[in-house]
Amino acid sequence: MAETVSSDFEGDATSKPAFSLKNRLIGIARVSPTMAAGILIILAFGVMALFAEFLMPHDPVSAYHDRILQPPSAEHWFGTDGNGMDVFSRVIYGAKFGFGIAIPAVLLSIIIGVPVGLIAGYRGGLLDEVLMRFFDGLRVFPSIILALAVVAATGQSLLNVVLVLGFLDSPVFARVVRSEVLALRSSVFVESAKAAGNPTWRILFVHLLPNAVQGAMAQTAVRAAWAVRISATLAFLGVGIQAPTPEWGAMIRQGAEFMVTGQWWVALYPGIALILLVFGLNLFGDGLQDLTDPRRRAAK
Amino acid sequence: MSFSRFLLRRTLMVIPLLLGVVFITFMLIRVGGLDPVGQLAGPTATQDEFDMIREELGLDKPLWQQFLIYTGNVLQGDLGESWLSNRPVLDDMLERAVISLELLVWGIGLGALIGIPVGLRAAFRPNGKFDQTTRVLSLLGFSIPTYWLGLVMIFVFFYLLDWAPPAIGRISLMIFPPETVTGSYLIDGLIAADWEAAWSATTHLILPVVCLAIISAAPIIKQTRAIALEVLSSETVRYARACGLPERTVRKLVFRNSAVPIITFVGTELTGLVGTMSLIEYVFAWGGLGQYGLNAIVRGDFTAVQGYVLALALFSVVVFLIVDIIVHLIEPRSELN
Amino acid sequence: MSLLEVENLRTHFISRDIDNQIRVAQALNDVSFTLEAGKVLGFVGETGAGKSLTAQSICGLLRPPARIVGGSVFFDGQDLREMPEDDLNAIRGDQIAMVVQNPRTSLDPLTRIGDQLARIHQTHSGGPISTSRERALEMMEAVGIPDPTNRAKSWPHELSGGMAQRVLIAMALMNNPKLLIADEPTTGLDVTVQAQILDLLKGLTERFGMAMIVITHDLGIVAHYSDEIAVMFAGTIVEAGPVVDVFNNPQHPYTQSLIASTPEKLQIGGSAKLGGQPPDLYNLPSGCPLRTRCSFAQEICATPPPRRQINDTHYSVCHFSGKSPANGSAS
Repeated sequence: MAETVSSDFEGDATSKPAFSLKNRLIGIARVSPTMAAGILIILAFGVMALFAEFLMPHDPVSAYHDRILQPPSAEHWFGTDGNGMDVFSRVIYGAKFGFGIAIPAVLLSIIIGVPVGLIAGYRGGLLDEVLMRFFDGLRVFPSIILALAVVAATGQSLLNVVLVLGFLDSPVFARVVRSEVLALRSSVFVESAKAAGNPTWRILFVHLLPNAVQGAMAQTAVRAAWAVRISATLAFLGVGIQAPTPEWGAMIRQGAEFMVTGQWWVALYPGIALILLVFGLNLFGDGLQDLTDPRRRAAK
Repeated sequence: MSFSRFLLRRTLMVIPLLLGVVFITFMLIRVGGLDPVGQLAGPTATQDEFDMIREELGLDKPLWQQFLIYTGNVLQGDLGESWLSNRPVLDDMLERAVISLELLVWGIGLGALIGIPVGLRAAFRPNGKFDQTTRVLSLLGFSIPTYWLGLVMIFVFFYLLDWAPPAIGRISLMIFPPETVTGSYLIDGLIAADWEAAWSATTHLILPVVCLAIISAAPIIKQTRAIALEVLSSETVRYARACGLPERTVRKLVFRNSAVPIITFVGTELTGLVGTMSLIEYVFAWGGLGQYGLNAIVRGDFTAVQGYVLALALFSVVVFLIVDIIVHLIEPRSELN
Repeated sequence: MSLLEVENLRTHFISRDIDNQIRVAQALNDVSFTLEAGKVLGFVGETGAGKSLTAQSICGLLRPPARIVGGSVFFDGQDLREMPEDDLNAIRGDQIAMVVQNPRTSLDPLTRIGDQLARIHQTHSGGPISTSRERALEMMEAVGIPDPTNRAKSWPHELSGGMAQRVLIAMALMNNPKLLIADEPTTGLDVTVQAQILDLLKGLTERFGMAMIVITHDLGIVAHYSDEIAVMFAGTIVEAGPVVDVFNNPQHPYTQSLIASTPEKLQIGGSAKLGGQPPDLYNLPSGCPLRTRCSFAQEICATPPPRRQINDTHYSVCHFSGKSPANGSAS
């Protein structure tokens, strides 16, 4: 408390001021400028996705047949593509797909992975063993190839892309939660909750979940980055999302052939947008992991 | 425990994993509800023809029987026939495996050669300028889409600067490939003293190899740094400092103690990198296993997809096994396990 | 001149938290003591009292965010605080040797113990490796490792805890140090092995004329093996003096409670009298750090307690030292 100003020189440091959002933001920026940069990038893309309709100078899917493959100009900042569509407007619209795929996919991973991790960690035994072996089995497949193959096999739609990414990534959350539950399982507060006669589901979701969930939350941003990256890769290969959808990966696919004939702008700009969003998510996610992992934090 | 016993035990331990892998590959094309029969029969097929093909493929049998048959076929090396090439999938893949392996070895080799020293150096001065720079760069490396990087490299080095050959294949179309010994045009060219072929193979290799190296260096930097930091904060290093060992000796100690976890990490990382590499092959028209697999996926050749996915998983399992053997050989403590 | 003179040593943990606030843990506050050549000084106190931190501060082994913010350390007439890192490194493991807890995880797992012993000798002597190897065998013999020639080829993970601790002691002896710092040297060992290791240490200090600092939770160890004792609490020495004086006439309430709660002067159990959490180093109470836990605390305890000499060599840092309240009512 501030009223007893002590005389020693670190007086203001040892007293605890009230929480202030401004101080926390300054603190984050100082402890991890890269994390702050990540937050800014994500926010910028968020604005782009939400207000795309106001920011786009042209319709992203209407083709100007007289302006095919025009280089960047005052009218078309990022030029036009092989169909005569405005690349700038399409890049802005693409942000919708970035978030529109990543957010539900990560949510789905959490919805599947967290309960699985909770139950596997708490129950242990055969169930746990089988689940972990299954996850180990999944780990020998390259995630991108597995995602591609499953989307291709289950039918190519945007919804399928989200479902497949969500499913395939859920072991990440299951593992994190499981290891936290294993550490907490025999702790005093769980034992006393059990002794007080709480049913298992209550112990799992009321007592264990809030304590185990922090590690999982720290993964969200990095997993979102993964989802954005993989979904764009699928679109690049023409799996799941087809051109001329204004999705970045699909746009790069459209521009690929023009790279060897000199019309670089068709593939370059969507690629930069994709890198920036994934980079922002990774910067933020890396900072999050630092903050929640005491060992990584101690290295600071 | 003797080495041969270790080897035997470790190999036996792989069997359940292999069974799981075969099961997952088996389920891969059955979860979708897509009917491969439709593809084979074509749009004008009659119901009788459908049934015949279905019977021929064994798709009328219960799922568990199909699985047993599939497992049996896999064990005999029968991965079915590709719908695109009309050849056995195994033959198609064996032909292309070496081609991919060459790219993988050079690419990851270069990536590790850059990533490990950079990661170690960053760890010795955590949060120094070098560390912060490489940390941001490696996160950027995580974020660059492989195929886009390949395309930009082609644009810059082929179209703009004209330094690189066109990104089609592994050797100039004008040059006759050297006699096959290893399957690598570069090495075969050197063996046959065919300098023109070796040079052409090298120029074709550079861009995809650099591309793969950039992508693979990013996680290696990040993980090497984390591993070395952990070793640096270990009791062993603290005690070494308390013994007044000079900084050079301490560093050597950190290198040696980081070696095993770094090798293990690079081994596990290979799994994902073969996926990444497929995209590089696709962009550079490399003609290897990766391009074959992606084509199969994109064009719906499910027998080939199945074979390809199985091959990648087997590759990972073998890599894990090799890593375990290497670790066993260099780590004195492993005798305990 | 004494071998080791530590004066007003202050070490703080200074960090910045996520809310951009500087946080300072006052881990060592004006620690002062001297150690004569050939003497054994025992540090006791609960976890977090700053015993190990004192040792690390002396040797310059602090890692961020820990930092010495004041005071001086003189060893054999040299100012260790002002010394360049390389010179300090030459002293560590040579004139000042350390024996730590967890010997098995402290040894380099990838080097045979004979090579580790030879390495520490060669690093500091710079002589031929063959001399260092001979010396290693001698020292293994001296610390009672049977069959040194064969044992030298062992890996650290092959040793038992007691054997590993003997190796660590041999490491410490390799360069004939003037000062040996033993930080919890017997934690985690069997009771019988503990006694062996301590007898060995005591015998070796006498044989080689070393001074030794023993850091421990165990009051019994100090009573049996030390010449002098320093009792630490919350980063300060609250009472110090010759072992006999302090044990016979403890003046500080904390020392009294330690002794009272140690059955047959063997082991510090839970602190019976002064139960409670150790004070928050980020937010130490004003005056005496013990006052929130001390049953004799009065208003005056909110002011810094004076250092009261009980006799020439024995002192206590308490307002009531040598007076009645603390002494009389301790029951």
